[in-house]
Amino acid sequence: MHLEMKNIHKSFGAVRAVVDVSLTVGEAEIHGLLGENGAGKSTLMNVLGGVLRQDSGQILIDGEDHSHLTPIKSARLGIRFIHQELNLVNDLKVFENLFLKNEIVAGGVYLNKKEMIRQSREIFERLGLEIDPTAYVRDLDTSRKQLVEIARALLFDCKLIIMDEPTTALTNDEIENLFGIMRGLKKHGVSSIYISHKMPELFSVCDRYTVLRDGRFVASGEFADINEQQATEMLVGRSIVNDRIDKADCITDETVLEVDGLSCEGYFNDVSFSVRRGEVLAFTGLFGDGRGELAECLFGARQATGGEIRLHGETLDTRSILRVIKSGVSMVPRNRKERSILKDLSVKDNLSMAYFTSAHRGLMIRRGEEARRFEEKRRETNIRVGNPDDPITSLSGGNQQKVVFSRWFGLESEVFILDNPTQGIDVGAKFEIYQLINRIVETGKSVIMFSSEFPEIYKIADRCIVMYKGEINHVFDRDQLNEVDVMYYATGSNRKAG
Amino acid sequence: MKNPLAGVDWKRELKNLFVNHNYIFSLILLLIVGRIASDQFITIASLSNLVKSSVFIGIIALGMTLVIISGNIDLSVGSILALSAALGVVAFNNSESVLQMLLVSSAIGAGLGLINGIFVGKARMASFIVTLATMTAYRSITVQLGQGGPLIAENEAYFASLRPIGYGKIFGIPYLVVIFLALTALMWFVMNKTKFGRYVYAVGSNEKAAKLTGIQVNGVKIAIFTIIGLLTGVAAFLYVTRFGSVDVATAGRMFELDVIAAVAIGGTMMSGGRGTIQGTFFGAVIIYSIDAILSAFQVPAFVNDLIKGLLILGAVLLQKVLDRTRDE
Repeated sequence: MHLEMKNIHKSFGAVRAVVDVSLTVGEAEIHGLLGENGAGKSTLMNVLGGVLRQDSGQILIDGEDHSHLTPIKSARLGIRFIHQELNLVNDLKVFENLFLKNEIVAGGVYLNKKEMIRQSREIFERLGLEIDPTAYVRDLDTSRKQLVEIARALLFDCKLIIMDEPTTALTNDEIENLFGIMRGLKKHGVSSIYISHKMPELFSVCDRYTVLRDGRFVASGEFADINEQQATEMLVGRSIVNDRIDKADCITDETVLEVDGLSCEGYFNDVSFSVRRGEVLAFTGLFGDGRGELAECLFGARQATGGEIRLHGETLDTRSILRVIKSGVSMVPRNRKERSILKDLSVKDNLSMAYFTSAHRGLMIRRGEEARRFEEKRRETNIRVGNPDDPITSLSGGNQQKVVFSRWFGLESEVFILDNPTQGIDVGAKFEIYQLINRIVETGKSVIMFSSEFPEIYKIADRCIVMYKGEINHVFDRDQLNEVDVMYYATGSNRKAG
Repeated sequence: MKNPLAGVDWKRELKNLFVNHNYIFSLILLLIVGRIASDQFITIASLSNLVKSSVFIGIIALGMTLVIISGNIDLSVGSILALSAALGVVAFNNSESVLQMLLVSSAIGAGLGLINGIFVGKARMASFIVTLATMTAYRSITVQLGQGGPLIAENEAYFASLRPIGYGKIFGIPYLVVIFLALTALMWFVMNKTKFGRYVYAVGSNEKAAKLTGIQVNGVKIAIFTIIGLLTGVAAFLYVTRFGSVDVATAGRMFELDVIAAVAIGGTMMSGGRGTIQGTFFGAVIIYSIDAILSAFQVPAFVNDLIKGLLILGAVLLQKVLDRTRDE
């Protein structure tokens, strides 16, 4: 298939997700699409898959105008979309998933299971996989699920395959197999669009590239003409040096938290590090690096399968979250809506909750005390709220997050674990959160921050650990920090392909 | 002259009142309808009668409010009522002591609730299935205990010490009503003034977030099921003071439906996180106003439950609609 997307524009309200982007993919070409999170890759691909309708711009497929795509039209044209998040039904068997909405039926109603199972076996053989088509999807691990997702796209005739980070959970052998298949399809004239953050993969399988940044087209060309360094620079742009926040140097030599060989099967392996009093230690990496699970293990929200955590030299008992809190560890979880906010409760109750569970004595709530505490914290963190008894959902995202931070203040916490603390809040509020983090370390506490946004790591981190596939890949000191190098290690470019 | 109320947005105030306390409007409406049906409907005596007939359902519904706010359900309350009432009668006949009977009924109720709570909290099973299973199990124990027939409180002793509680009045108000009101006040206090109350709302609102602030979610669930068991035990005691006997096969049967309906009509969200004790109090009274009005209109008893069912559907639908306007 020869695809041409010309001058595509797409906005969501005031947010311009894609601005004047053009993309050309030739017949039998594997095309790498590069860009950071939020660069507009997914929006563009959703336009091609017919999920979203572009505001303006033209789509030409084999020279014909197909500017008004719908998911059905797109599928009929032979465009297959392998999504990053798994779209499988856990409660159905593998072959039932493969043929979902494309079931082979006899006599109009009767499902021809034998035939579907036979074809499933065939596709798995082609992929060099040993997956039982009659197994339940629920019983497969993440990498198998991803492979089933890929198999589903290959099962039917297709002319263009879109793969959105398909290899995050795959092993090297599985990735090699996948690449073999992509090259085989190429011989049959099938084109692919391959989205990935992993440079070695892109360079090993793709012919041409297109780079997007902030929703705009940056460059396009042959992979043969560039190296990984150049690709990373195009990806992050040149104007990436942001201002740092003024910060007193408050790091002491005293080690507060030590993590020794911590592992959590299937997520991360043998992670060791330590945090000093007054230090901001940042963790970063790409999707599937095990960062989020590491944060949860430190707080006792997930049980590690090996290793030890020591707080002031004493083993931290992570079997109960409450005990971890009482030992002096606080956590601002990622995904505020899902993990931090008690949506039916008032602003005040949301703020008081951790105090109630860990420090407050007695059964009764003393109204005066609660109000006084609230007012004190509100002023400290500058929460903009009309009435403390209003529901928490009436606040803006930034103010909600300040409430979540304030929960942990005044509880004599030594270590603050912040998992994506500025997710989904606006720039002004982000700045206030950074100042809060500074205030935390200035008062002699320590911060372990998990973030996928380099600019904020650059602003506030004293040290930055880059993770890759569940392992520590590199540690940067503050004065070595730059985005190009961080991306280099986050994508595993220092390791062998895949 | 400036009107001091000029700044008040009446439309908004009224809307808020209606959104948050719509059960009061429902009750007023029902009372008006009742007045049309019968001149005798709104007298102190008949109002107090309404409350009195809702006592057993109402006391259990106070506990059910906690259960539903926490995002759970308890279908076993009818069976718990029967079993703790039955064992209460046995204890009474042995000792002729009112206090001992009260203690036995309450302890049995709390114990049965605790069993539910352990399955839901510790074993993390769905409360619907757990209490569906214990509903039949508890009932079976009761029927075995009474050998199918009723358990009757010793006649003389009953008239001497129990009946005065079930039928007695103070200043014209039945003891049962006084006890119901007192328990309502107590549970209101628990839900509004204690940390435990906040935890119940937090667990029902967002269990994951509740856990991450250090709330021991499993313990809270166990406590909630124990509390509803205890309240059901108290209701069982009052049930015996009123009726003097327990029919092991039918006592409390289908109570869970009326109890859940009372909580729903009282404005508690079935999905958890939101609800009030005072709402449930009115919800319980409303259920019996419906019964009273239907009989005042001489509606055939067979149609009775149909109309009740429709009204419950209406109440929950109203909640949904109002919830949407709240989010606007």
